[in-house]
Amino acid sequence: MQNPYEVIPAEVYEIIQESPLIRTLRFKPKKPIPFKTGQFIEVGIPGIGEGPFTPSSSHYIADDMDVTIMKTGFLTEYIHKLRVGDVIGIRGPFGSNYPLEKFKGKDVLILGGGCGLAPLRSLFLTMLHDNKDYNSITFLAGAKTPKDCIYKDEVSEWRKYDNVRFIRAVDEVPPGEQWEEDVCLVTKLLQKINMKPDGNPAIVCGPPVMMKFGTLDLLKFGYKEENIYLSMEKKMYCGFGQCRHCVIGGYYACKDGPVFTYAQIKNEEAIWD
Amino acid sequence: MLVNILSFFSFLNRLNEIDNKFCSIILPYRARSDDDAPPIFSFQKLNNSKVPVLNYYRTIDPTKILFYLFREKVYPIENKNLQRIILGVKACDLKALHLLDKALLQSGFIDPAYKQWRDNTLIISSDCDYLHETCSCNLVNGHPYSENGFDLNLSVVDENFLIQIGSERGQEFVELMKKEITVADSTASDLEIVKANRKKVFNQLIEKNIHLTHSENFSDFRKVDLKSWEEASKECIGCGACTNICPTCYCLILNDESTEKEFIKVRSYDSCQWYGYARVAGGGTPRPKMTDRFRNRYLCKFDYMHKNFAEIGCTGCGRCTEACAAKIDFREVVKNISFLAQEVN
Repeated sequence: MQNPYEVIPAEVYEIIQESPLIRTLRFKPKKPIPFKTGQFIEVGIPGIGEGPFTPSSSHYIADDMDVTIMKTGFLTEYIHKLRVGDVIGIRGPFGSNYPLEKFKGKDVLILGGGCGLAPLRSLFLTMLHDNKDYNSITFLAGAKTPKDCIYKDEVSEWRKYDNVRFIRAVDEVPPGEQWEEDVCLVTKLLQKINMKPDGNPAIVCGPPVMMKFGTLDLLKFGYKEENIYLSMEKKMYCGFGQCRHCVIGGYYACKDGPVFTYAQIKNEEAIWD
Repeated sequence: MLVNILSFFSFLNRLNEIDNKFCSIILPYRARSDDDAPPIFSFQKLNNSKVPVLNYYRTIDPTKILFYLFREKVYPIENKNLQRIILGVKACDLKALHLLDKALLQSGFIDPAYKQWRDNTLIISSDCDYLHETCSCNLVNGHPYSENGFDLNLSVVDENFLIQIGSERGQEFVELMKKEITVADSTASDLEIVKANRKKVFNQLIEKNIHLTHSENFSDFRKVDLKSWEEASKECIGCGACTNICPTCYCLILNDESTEKEFIKVRSYDSCQWYGYARVAGGGTPRPKMTDRFRNRYLCKFDYMHKNFAEIGCTGCGRCTEACAAKIDFREVVKNISFLAQEVN
């Protein structure tokens, strides 16, 4: 009998300070954790607690994972104090994944902001692995200011692919900071690109307000409700539909999600809260 | 079949000598001896100096607390393998266990601790011969007696228990019992007595609750306007007693109690009535107001659980009403809301 509470120890071997508030932890679990991109894991610190995070690494690698975590509360404060060599506890993977088979041959649009880029990086890296399977991939990434941009060192690599566009925007450029790319809300980038909504998927992840207006904009531009994929991050506490904290109407964000289509949940309450 | 009540209890008292596989026997006893107040009962370990009460009404705590413990280690899991017998389980609590089985064993994962308790427990249910003031199983398609879900069921016929066998495990127990005490065949008239008694109690229940009858368009609860929910919840202090004592609530928090040697996970009860329940890092919560959380409990019981398990999460045991510090009557709220839901349509 599989115990869903089983904890897999993992050693942190590298920590990347992505932005003042965001870090990527790289760790090697004691046994491989095969997952599908979009699924999440519980990352725990012994004696403190655990929380749900989506790996930000490709699902083709099961024994070496990344999670990108923003310092925003009790647990993440402790996560940000971790050092190389510390052992964390992983449970999972849990939940639904991005249906890559439905994206194949399509023009895929990825829209993300802030720390919402974490699951999208996993999706993006997984897709780059077989990038010829997709007609094109357009990744629109937003951040508040230039120094809040994450995955900075990887961008030039990502831009080398013929069928891939990686476009960044920041909300504002404070005095003294350098920025040569777009300055606008990430959702405004939608107007700049030549979109082909017809039957193509759009994947959205970011702060709730960005997801809400991003979704509404996508609908306006002609994307279909069933082709808009949202990563609904609620309080996914147990990971498999037992604790009920993440219930959205009759759905569990942890089990039926975290990846939902807008068509699935549009009538549920407080989805953006 | 029939056994004399006193010899049945003496058999229970000797059971440990006869077959020591049963580590504990748990059954309801009177929990206070205040003659004026209605009696209350609690599950306790078998104590041969006291008289258990099997056929009154439900215990103050739900049977859930014996299968889904208030605090319990879930990782690593220890093999308990402790056979036990729980007697005096009421139909409402059996119904709740049935729902917990769906939630904790048949939803694509298995809660390991719950499964162990479930696998290792012989359940002997018993008919209700009296009614608690808050009993209302009849309002949610229940009865004050069990028809399934038990290993054995006991109904009182004069000085005897009429025993009904509900499982192979129950049959084995009866075989063991037959070696020790006299077991008589029951007659058609014994069955008639049970039937008549059940009908009598059920009719009392209907009569008692006639003013609380509600409609069954539960999925329309969410359409009822917020003002009505504010009215219904205005006395609520959000203590969470109703959820902790509910036989079908199983929301949990998972504590990390790891040591330097190993990872340890302990689960305990949570309550959707508490502010921090659905709060995420950064402080956001989908239900910041007490009214939202109050409403969530009703929607969870009647709408969400119905969607998840094809049955509602209320067994009519009335414990939430009994436990409420603000004296909010769950049945009144359901009645009013269901009436309003009907109007919305």
